[in-house]
Amino acid sequence: MILPIGPIHPGLKEPLRLKLKTQGEKVLSAEIDYGYVHRGIERIMQGQTWQKSIFLAERVCGICSYIHTQTFAETFEKIAGQQVPLRAQYLRVLTNELDRTQSHLLANSTYFKALEHETLFMYMLALREPVMDAIELLTGNRVNMGWNVVGGVRMDARDSHLQKIREIIVKLESEYDKYVEMFAHGPLLGLRSRDVGKLTYDEAIKARAVGPIGRASGLKHDLREEHHTYKDNLDFKVIYRKEGDNFARTMNRFDEIRVSLDIIKQVIDNIPPGDIRTKIDFGAGYDQWRNEAPRGEVTYMIETNGNLIKEISIRTPSIMNIDACAKYMLKDVATVADAVATYATSDPCIACTERVVILDEKEGEKSYQGIHNLNHKTNLINEK
Amino acid sequence: MLNTLKDIVRKSSIHVCLVNTGGCNGCDIEVVALLSPRYDLEQYGIYVHNNPREADVILVTGAVTDQWLENLRRIYTKAPEPKVVVAIGNCPLTGDVFNQEGGSVYAPVSDFIPVDAEISGCPPRPSEILEAILSVVPGAIALKGRQNK
Ligand code: SF4
Repeated sequence: MILPIGPIHPGLKEPLRLKLKTQGEKVLSAEIDYGYVHRGIERIMQGQTWQKSIFLAERVCGICSYIHTQTFAETFEKIAGQQVPLRAQYLRVLTNELDRTQSHLLANSTYFKALEHETLFMYMLALREPVMDAIELLTGNRVNMGWNVVGGVRMDARDSHLQKIREIIVKLESEYDKYVEMFAHGPLLGLRSRDVGKLTYDEAIKARAVGPIGRASGLKHDLREEHHTYKDNLDFKVIYRKEGDNFARTMNRFDEIRVSLDIIKQVIDNIPPGDIRTKIDFGAGYDQWRNEAPRGEVTYMIETNGNLIKEISIRTPSIMNIDACAKYMLKDVATVADAVATYATSDPCIACTERVVILDEKEGEKSYQGIHNLNHKTNLINEK
Repeated sequence: MLNTLKDIVRKSSIHVCLVNTGGCNGCDIEVVALLSPRYDLEQYGIYVHNNPREADVILVTGAVTDQWLENLRRIYTKAPEPKVVVAIGNCPLTGDVFNQEGGSVYAPVSDFIPVDAEISGCPPRPSEILEAILSVVPGAIALKGRQNK
């Protein structure tokens, strides 16, 4: 039997259609339909200045909006061959880790909601609010912060604000272990999470899983290791696990939050004084830059002409992770309820993934129109 | 008599369906944040369950994308009467940054379904969303209920 879930469904936060092939309660395989939130961002950006496009980059995804602007700005800086002042780099790291913390807390809360464990769901959201306060204190906004500009950050952080953020983080850390214990040693939670939705190391490589999903399956890969600010100034270690099940993915996120909180404290303790912005000499060129988003690796490939964008291509982590989820994790899951929970642990972010480029092989042309044109175009091609 | 009773009950038991018709999901996240103990949406008798068939209130976030052109109307007709539509964020009002040349969005949402209340912001703060829902929704449901009688 084919069981369609979505696009609007109690178990899903975002619109997407999940088709489960089931036999009784058992899920045999799964298929995914995308395309509900395709907005044509890349197409709009073409020919625009970076000042306009950076707001679009931010709105690729609302949960990890921060890392998109950072990657966007860093690509431009790489093309110009310049680096931003150290203080700006530190502030970027600070915001990035705050954003990661809130995103991971949200992801875990969604998982607990999918398991119908309301208590932990509420605890996670309650933990998340102080982090949102910290983000607001620093940047002035909760979700779309508009914090990065090419060449640095928009405004300086006051010392009193940094100290306040440190207090929030220390308080969070002191409460944090309790909740992780609840999950790690909860017998029922363990039963529902261990050995469910397994993604082995080989499968993770095959599906190109990234971020916490890949790391929970033993892929020790975190782009922060290669990022110059982290590499040169900060001290952190990559968290990874071997099991690759729902438990490992959730635990991996929990542990990564600890690392993030630690990095935030390091940043606040060591942040150097100085400028927060430099002037960038825009040239023409092409380059790409990758960063570790909360969900994995995000890549921006930009071809510029001065401060105009000629061509841009964005690759977000969710698309690989959702594919890994559909192909491998959802295979042979025991019940439909577990399938929804497994889907939630893959931390899908649909707004990120929706990108359509139609490549017409015969005519060698590229077009960026919406999904309905895709069907239309394929028909045309077939008729030819 | 039964209808009056229904009106009273529905005023303090509001089921919400959240429909993202193509935004950045920043607004959705702020609605999820409303569930957190700090704002505690459920203390007002509002319950978010994302099932259009039981919904009294449809929260629309997002400009309308290709796939939603027909589906949005379909979801709207699925919800039982009386229903209230609240548009959250700039996306459903104007299409926000996506409503430019090259984008594939068809905002505003009010072209497709009747909208009862609008909250601007990108995204609006959770407290604003809460305030808007509380000030508009119970009254609107009661009013529509009476009109339909
Ligand atoms: S209004 Fe802004 S925050 Fe809300 S969905 Fe649209 S772009 Fe995202």
